[in-house]
Amino acid sequence: MNELDELVRVEAVCRRFPLDHSYVNALDGVNLGVAAGEFLAIAGPSGSGKSTLLNLIGCIDKPTSGRILIEGVDTSKLNANRITALRREKIGFVFQTFNLIPVFTAAENVEFPLLVQGLSARERRSRVAAALESVGLSARANHRPDLLSGGERQRVAVARAIVHRPALVLADEPTANLDTHNATQLIDLMHDLNRRLGLTFIFSTHDARLLEHTDRIVRLTDGEVVSDTLTARTPIEGGSHGQVLASRV
Amino acid sequence: MGKFLLLAFRNIFRNRRRTVMTLIMVGGGVAGLLLAGGYFAFMTHGLRESTINNGLGHLQIFTADHFRRDETRVLDTGINNWRQVAASVTSAEHVRGVAPRIDFYGMVSNGTKAAGFMGSAVDPVAENSLGFISRVVSGRDLDPKPAGEVEALIGVGLAKSMNVKVGDGLTILAMTSDGALNGVDVEIVGLVDHGVAELDSRYVRITLPAAQRLLQSDRVTNLVVGLDSTDNTDRVYDELIPRLRGLPQEMALKKWIDLATYYKQVSTMFNGIFLFMGVIVFFMVLMASVNTLLMSMMERTREIGTMLAMGTPRMWIVALFMLEATLLGVMGAVAGVAVGNLLGVLLNSSGLHMPPPPGYTVNIAFKVLHVPVQMIGASVLVVVSLAIASILPAMRASRLQIAEALAHV
Repeated sequence: MNELDELVRVEAVCRRFPLDHSYVNALDGVNLGVAAGEFLAIAGPSGSGKSTLLNLIGCIDKPTSGRILIEGVDTSKLNANRITALRREKIGFVFQTFNLIPVFTAAENVEFPLLVQGLSARERRSRVAAALESVGLSARANHRPDLLSGGERQRVAVARAIVHRPALVLADEPTANLDTHNATQLIDLMHDLNRRLGLTFIFSTHDARLLEHTDRIVRLTDGEVVSDTLTARTPIEGGSHGQVLASRV
Repeated sequence: MGKFLLLAFRNIFRNRRRTVMTLIMVGGGVAGLLLAGGYFAFMTHGLRESTINNGLGHLQIFTADHFRRDETRVLDTGINNWRQVAASVTSAEHVRGVAPRIDFYGMVSNGTKAAGFMGSAVDPVAENSLGFISRVVSGRDLDPKPAGEVEALIGVGLAKSMNVKVGDGLTILAMTSDGALNGVDVEIVGLVDHGVAELDSRYVRITLPAAQRLLQSDRVTNLVVGLDSTDNTDRVYDELIPRLRGLPQEMALKKWIDLATYYKQVSTMFNGIFLFMGVIVFFMVLMASVNTLLMSMMERTREIGTMLAMGTPRMWIVALFMLEATLLGVMGAVAGVAVGNLLGVLLNSSGLHMPPPPGYTVNIAFKVLHVPVQMIGASVLVVVSLAIASILPAMRASRLQIAEALAHV
């Protein structure tokens, strides 16, 4: 994969957090390239650095060293306003705990990113309707989150993440709070959106159900990439299914 | 903007109990201010009208030299052709009438005891036509054309100190305009009670002709102008000023407020108390609201983190919190104005009375006026207080580190 084709490029990224009088390395020299349209899982046990890596790619945290490029732009060189604008326009987020605004209806929650972008009411309405339709929740548009099931809430969160047509959707443990049925539905939905709309999904998980549906799995242990694997689901140009592309990129 | 306002409005009612407590505090502050301010307004309004109707009038005309006069020879600076002056004033719009007066000073004696007095010589017909209250509590008012002796009304305090009653006689002594001491025997036809102990212990009122004989002058010290409404004072003042120019004597026109020293003191005191109460309410709302809004911010940390992650500008978060606080203030102010006015109506119909204030001898009705300016002022006060209280939580919320906020439990 050519660097210029990459949507996301992570270069020698370290993230260190202070702990008492010492510090802990959440990520240690991570390198990663993600092409547009990929459906990529970051797997690993708790504390391996999955969420930290997603936060850094999502520009809601800054690396201690190294750099992250989104569509070729070095995010470390952007000021706060441009970082905010980049998140607003290029990235959609799905959180483990859904993080919907409880006083808004499903439709209003989905509308929020468009509101922040300053789109017209008419444009917002049509996009919200399309996003809710794509996650199969048109009938629940006017329900508040407390009247939705966990699976429905997470689908609303997915609709909110894709409604502004981002280049990249980041999902942090999206199935962790869902039962098997809802988790499977959500995985299928995300995969369908990936295939149908060409949306790039990067999500962290240690859910085996989700990993079974994933094209590429990057495994982290103690803040380091230990493997980067294309799964049997993905036809790989010039290689066999299940081939390990790189244990350290 | 509509959705943003909707979000702020709905956020207010997330924790209904806390919102209700805040509204009670804000509304209570507004209602308290309105009740206190309404009572003060009633007191000052009542004092204003009683001051005017007790004989001060709305406007008074003096000679320009009056305020440099010798108090023992008050008519040296009096108005010569006062009937002509009165006629030119009476024709003005809103003027109900003009009453000539002589304010003079001297000694009063019952034969064994003497005391200083403040005298007021009046035309009873003119005074009555202006509705000035004589406050006779015993006996009768002055007869405009008495058949026999010179009639006098004296204050209840003076009657007590001189040990006289209605029907008794007194001798009053004063300096004539020539500088000679002159005296006249008077018959007490009534006792008056102004409700002000200091005044009632020195007060003597006789008719204008009697005073002019006593002081041996046909001048008067001042002309009291009565209007149809106190609200027209400034308008009539502006109209009368040109009319008084070009007269043989230079004249000075004074508004009632310029002569009502006691009223001004009381009004200033009430304004000071009201301002102090306003400051207390302001800080009370400010301190309590900062805590409430901080709690609200802490509870919504993850939500704020989510909004920031989605690219919401940090200033939007500041604006959201300030908007919520402002809305809360507006709702509290509306509730406070409603409750304050309702309580005011109930109090006004209760017939409550307050004990007499210092220097007064009569109870004062407890009534509350509904003053729109106070309603607006108190409302603005609490809304501003809440808006200021929201600055700290709003700034804290906007400065949250997104990753930390999203991990907040």
